[in-house]
Amino acid sequence: MKFTVTGLSHKTAPVEVRERLAFDAEVLPVALRSLTARPGLLEAMILSTCNRVEISLASEESADPELAVDEFFSSTNVDPAQFRPYVYHYIGADAIRHLFRVASSLDSMVVGEPQILGQFKAAYALAREHGAASGFLETVITRAFSVAKRVRTETEIGSSAVSVSFAAVELAREIFGSLKDRAIMIIGAGKMSEAAARHLARNGVTRILVTNRTEERALEMARLFNGAVVPYTDYLTSLHEVDIVITSSGAPHYVLTREQVKRALDKRRNRPVFLIDIGVPRNIEPAVNQLENAFLYDIDDLRGVVERNVENRKQVALEAERIVEEEAARMMERLKIRAVAPTILNLQEQLETVRAGEIARARGRLGTLTKEQEEAIEQITRGIINKIAHGPISELRRNAAQADGVHVISTIRRIFRLGDE
Amino acid sequence: MMHESAIFWLRVATVLYSIGLIHAILVLVKRKTVLFRYAQPAFTAAALFHFVSIVETTMAVGRLPVDNFFEAVSLCALLISGAYLILFWRYHFASLSLFIFPLVFLMSQLGAMETPVASWPNSGVRDAWLFAHVATVLLGYVGLLVTALASIFYLVQERQLKSKRPERFFDRLPPLATLDNLITNSMTFGFVFITIGVIAGSAWAFIESGTSWIADPKIAISLFTWVFCLLMVFLRASAGLRGRKAALMAITVLGCSALTWAAHVGLRSLILR
Repeated sequence: MKFTVTGLSHKTAPVEVRERLAFDAEVLPVALRSLTARPGLLEAMILSTCNRVEISLASEESADPELAVDEFFSSTNVDPAQFRPYVYHYIGADAIRHLFRVASSLDSMVVGEPQILGQFKAAYALAREHGAASGFLETVITRAFSVAKRVRTETEIGSSAVSVSFAAVELAREIFGSLKDRAIMIIGAGKMSEAAARHLARNGVTRILVTNRTEERALEMARLFNGAVVPYTDYLTSLHEVDIVITSSGAPHYVLTREQVKRALDKRRNRPVFLIDIGVPRNIEPAVNQLENAFLYDIDDLRGVVERNVENRKQVALEAERIVEEEAARMMERLKIRAVAPTILNLQEQLETVRAGEIARARGRLGTLTKEQEEAIEQITRGIINKIAHGPISELRRNAAQADGVHVISTIRRIFRLGDE
Repeated sequence: MMHESAIFWLRVATVLYSIGLIHAILVLVKRKTVLFRYAQPAFTAAALFHFVSIVETTMAVGRLPVDNFFEAVSLCALLISGAYLILFWRYHFASLSLFIFPLVFLMSQLGAMETPVASWPNSGVRDAWLFAHVATVLLGYVGLLVTALASIFYLVQERQLKSKRPERFFDRLPPLATLDNLITNSMTFGFVFITIGVIAGSAWAFIESGTSWIADPKIAISLFTWVFCLLMVFLRASAGLRGRKAALMAITVLGCSALTWAAHVGLRSLILR
């Protein structure tokens, strides 16, 4: 049995190439069937996301999976010259390690992002559903899921935000806990504020007030989030009702001053307020951050949080690589032990055949035997073959996980005339 | 010495004032103000009885009764309730009731303790009562301890957020809102139990040793602690006291409680007696 992973990813191929090879969900079942129909290919899984197209294959030793995948990619109407330079091909232990790294999000564009595991699970479920993944792939891939889980629980790889919008959500959570039923006000309906508002809305914020110098744009954005429009001349009157304020106004002066925020805080009896200023030049007077219970983050502050998180992830990734390495080694050991199982079985069968044959030949010469005598012969002969088998079997088991395990297997097969696997 | 009927009127006033205390506790624990409809008129009526009591004493002794602690505290309580009623009538300053109602109740309760009324039916009741006092006060202290700890965590978390350089420790602290909730709840819990404890304790001392206990400094410390605790609860409920000031206040109240506790260590001998 041979295990390989062949494909290309954001690390090797530009997006123009990736998008040509990417598979639509509808054609995946057909693709899986056409792969497993090729000679020597036993099991297959296709992982196709916007960042990678990878094919995991379990094949017979005699098969050439690299060639098979090349033919397969070529059959999808893409000029081979376009993708060949970017394709990587991993075999055995390297393939297992690669699969574990992908599932653990160590090979992702944003290391630690959580989507890849979901995509991975979906790819596996589809392969199973269409009968393309069973014994071998099942062992490796379900192990990849547990490795990903282990990486996530034992390291802090996914625990910090690495985009400005997401950092804003994380900070809001540090202040308010749940964002459910919180109210936000958007002053200046720009693209950035829209992105931040979308993240917050997705995390439970229900009440969204929008104010903008041109009211049509405010109305447009309010419709997007089921929010309400506040007249631009009047936003200070509802300032105390909201927990989060996002400003991205092109105004040349501050749209919120320390004094105005102080008044709003008094009105809301000092319940904390989170102010996100993504305007350049800044829209909120920086001295607001000196007020107790007011937390002001401008775009540089948010970028700073993101940068530290990215830096932190890099360090955590090293720890995660160690886990993947350890798990890959353990997996290989298990697979090798699995690989000697047929030889052990063959050996036992072979010896049993010899024993049964010899007893049958000698039986006529022995005359009538009592039941006890029959049993004694059975016991003695079984004892002999077990003793003979003991040495080779323990040698097989011991050497399975070693580098030269293959030679031990072939030697024993040869000595005992076990034929080809 | 207060006149006998004057004492009676003062006790009636105390009972009416107690409705105000219950209202304050209800607001803190359940965030419900339904009882205010009754507590406010009851408070007005109580102030009237209180006034009658002081007028009677004045007529009996021929001058304003400020001869001893009991008379002074009673007069002071009346002045506070009068001031509150004027503020309420003029500015409708209802949230002040949260502070005034419990304060005036306790003061008038103390004022009404000038003449001993009863003795212990047996020592079992006496000990059980004292035990109840100690237990409720200790429960109250637990509440205040949690309040102080949560306030410090709040402060740390706030500083972290303000510094804009969240450290890894930051991830392990609960969000500000959670800490804020914890502070509110533990503070309310602490206040309610300390109030019950103080009422039980003063009543116990009154029956146990008549009027002599009032000069004891440890009583003064206890009452001071309680008033401080009341002030903290009031400021938080009305003005939303949070952050540094709240943390300082919580730590001070906890410190006062520790002092009070230390001052009461002598009580053990009373229990063991």
